[in-house]
Amino acid sequence: MTKSEYLTEYDGIVKTIQLYIDGSKQGKSELMRPAFHPDASFFGYAGDKLATGIPFLFDWIDKNGPAPKIEPRVVSVDILESIAVVRLEVAGWSGNLAGSGVRMCDLFTLLKTPGGWKIIQKAFHWHG
Amino acid sequence: MRTQLSSAASGIFFRGGFDMPERNTPQKTLESWKQIAAYLDRSERTVRRWEASEGLPVHRREHEKQDTVFAYRHELEAWSRLRTKCPLDASPDESEILPPTEAAANAYLIEHDAITRTMHRYIAGARAGDGDLMRPAFHPSATISGYCQGAEYSGSVEHVFQWISGNGPAPNISPRFARIEIIESIAVVHLEVQHWSGKLAGANARASDVFTLLKCDGEWKITHKLFHWHDH
Repeated sequence: MTKSEYLTEYDGIVKTIQLYIDGSKQGKSELMRPAFHPDASFFGYAGDKLATGIPFLFDWIDKNGPAPKIEPRVVSVDILESIAVVRLEVAGWSGNLAGSGVRMCDLFTLLKTPGGWKIIQKAFHWHG
Repeated sequence: MRTQLSSAASGIFFRGGFDMPERNTPQKTLESWKQIAAYLDRSERTVRRWEASEGLPVHRREHEKQDTVFAYRHELEAWSRLRTKCPLDASPDESEILPPTEAAANAYLIEHDAITRTMHRYIAGARAGDGDLMRPAFHPSATISGYCQGAEYSGSVEHVFQWISGNGPAPNISPRFARIEIIESIAVVHLEVQHWSGKLAGANARASDVFTLLKCDGEWKITHKLFHWHDH
């Protein structure tokens, strides 16, 4: 991968992650849906309860509502040709379900498709 | 009663009738390293090494201070049969240094080692060409995705098991951990595997795999395998 190819892929990946961030901030799952692959999965513990399935995530985002003060930071972006891993730290989660000032860590795995980079899995750890 | 399961190549014997509550455990579990070692007729040191480096299927129950181990006889037997079919011979030297499972008072090392044990089950299955051997490494609803020969693929992990079994033994694979990142209850492992071979893999292929893991009930399970096959 040349330097310019790398930057193109990097920017494509971050653009996809930004859709997730926008949807989270506004509490609207419709904004983040295009970021996800149709076969995407979702895993993680919310307290003691295992949360799975992308429908759970979208439902949660909608019910949580706006979280205007989230502070997302891209910690790492690793690209291996057609696949990628992004670690995102999000501080300052708030909302109907999140409570306030909560931090969440996300591991996104992405797949390069003809329609751009798509999230194929989101795994999270909720720092409750 | 003493049953020899397979050829003398492995030299692994199973023993029954020693001191354990087998009569009232319908699943036939072995409840300690001592029992597992006795069952396989090897030292505790050896069976611990097998777990760490060759995917011997040992489970853990998480307790506040110290985890306890247990194993299912049928899983040990399946592992042994495959090991015999495809001998690994990664230096059967008894004096080899123990994996730091027990010595690891460090919380990070305990998690790190638990993750590599799970990954070694995947590797052991890949090497032996048996999907069932790697099954315990995965969460029941795990999925896979990636590109194979230019075609995008995503679906249930069952397809991995079928592919692995259809591919058959790949005795020369040389896996390397390129990255292990642990964030409390989740982890990501980047595994580089060279010298893939077999009926489906062809010869001397290379794969980059990114696994996402979740710590479920004290055991690290793979929830997703993302793969990239490198063109020759």
